[in-house]
Amino acid sequence: VGLVRRTTEKAEAAEQLSVDDLLGRLDDADPERRREAALGLDAVAAAVDPLLDRVGAEPEPRARDAMLTTLAAFDLPEVAEGLVVHLASDDAGLRTAVAEAMAAMPTSVPPLMPRLLTDPDHDVRVMTAMVLADLPHPSAVTWLTAMIRDDTHPNVVAAAIDALLPSAGPEHGELLRDAVRRFPDDPFLRFTVEAAIR
Amino acid sequence: MTGAATTGAGLTDADFERFREYFYKRTGIQFTASKRYFVDKRIDASIRNAGFGGFASWFAALRLGDRAELLQDLINQLTVNETYFLREDYQFDAMLNTVLPNVLAARGGHGPVRILSLPCSTGEEPYSIALRLLEEWDRIDDVDVEIHGADIDSDVLDRAAHASYGERSLHRVPKPWMAKYFTEAAAGRYQLDDGIRGAVTLHRVNVCDTASMRAFKDFDVIFCRNVLIYFDELSSRRAAENLYGALRPGGYLFLGHSESMSRISPIFTPTRLPEGIVYQRPTGANR
Repeated sequence: VGLVRRTTEKAEAAEQLSVDDLLGRLDDADPERRREAALGLDAVAAAVDPLLDRVGAEPEPRARDAMLTTLAAFDLPEVAEGLVVHLASDDAGLRTAVAEAMAAMPTSVPPLMPRLLTDPDHDVRVMTAMVLADLPHPSAVTWLTAMIRDDTHPNVVAAAIDALLPSAGPEHGELLRDAVRRFPDDPFLRFTVEAAIR
Repeated sequence: MTGAATTGAGLTDADFERFREYFYKRTGIQFTASKRYFVDKRIDASIRNAGFGGFASWFAALRLGDRAELLQDLINQLTVNETYFLREDYQFDAMLNTVLPNVLAARGGHGPVRILSLPCSTGEEPYSIALRLLEEWDRIDDVDVEIHGADIDSDVLDRAAHASYGERSLHRVPKPWMAKYFTEAAAGRYQLDDGIRGAVTLHRVNVCDTASMRAFKDFDVIFCRNVLIYFDELSSRRAAENLYGALRPGGYLFLGHSESMSRISPIFTPTRLPEGIVYQRPTGANR
């Protein structure tokens, strides 16, 4: 009773699994096993396609997020292409999780930006702003300011403003005021800008 | 030190980039160019410690990987270990006032309660937890508690095991606790009681390394403070996943006061306590 020392470490009992075992466990009925398998496949190139095949259909957020963590680490064009389709998903959890993962892919995601910034679906452009909020890339702010200046949909402009704010400076004041003038009937956008400028 | 294009240990800008990429791949720790001076100084020390003549031969040996001590010495040089007893102790208040009662309630009042301090550095955090429990938790006499400390740096783990501290580390420890649990070992140095030292189990682990972190399971409470700020997006995500795997469903994660999980990963549920935010691994019922 009181403070006790654990003498038998679970470290010694940790199960060692082969890549084939881990790939097999991606379809396990237990979501925790699927989650652990996805994480265990870190840096295993053969896992990219199986993970891309499953990530959109994975019902458990914790297993899906683990798949995305492993996929994002590859930061390859084929992974970015495989993920970007989910930005248009009807599943809000999936598209948000994918946006967060893409924000951790600073090499393979930027080449997609010209296409994403002009995507005909404004919801995809909203998610693109979310990607840019955290994407560590020197052009992220430039892309966000272009969205605020040029996009025709108020939700996209509001999302881009929200994404820009943590890195915005006095030089962005006029850009933000212009956005309010372009969408005078959008109270959320006005509120966001006024709160930021204050 | 060579020509004008180099600094510190003789690193050119290209050397620095190669080193930075290598160290990131091995540890998940990313250094920006603003840390160049700090990194150069530490690399210089590692090269001297290992007896190499310069960066090129040392880096070649490091990459070859057949001398594990080179990488460990480098990790020890480049990780920051500044801490002290009872640091940010409002989180220990939260642990005592709310978290542990909730943990026990969820488990029918039975222990053992398992607590992990990661990174534990030179031991101040896990030993602070032990002291707060022994002095202030009214269930300590009838519930077993396991405390584990883990760190990537083997030198600090050796120092944690020795548990001898200077006054700077101990300035927040109440005098009666000092008298009860510490013995003056040398002028200005105080060593922690054997019983507490023996009760804390220490491990070496990299929080970003999923394979090693799989050994950490079923913790009720994890303190992982002021380390995620050193990681980039991807390493933070992986660390968060590994911490999630180390917690029981319903278990609690404390981050440093300036850190937030919300921009790292959505897998935890933030819970507002009177003392601040703590993150919970969802239970099966709500996840």
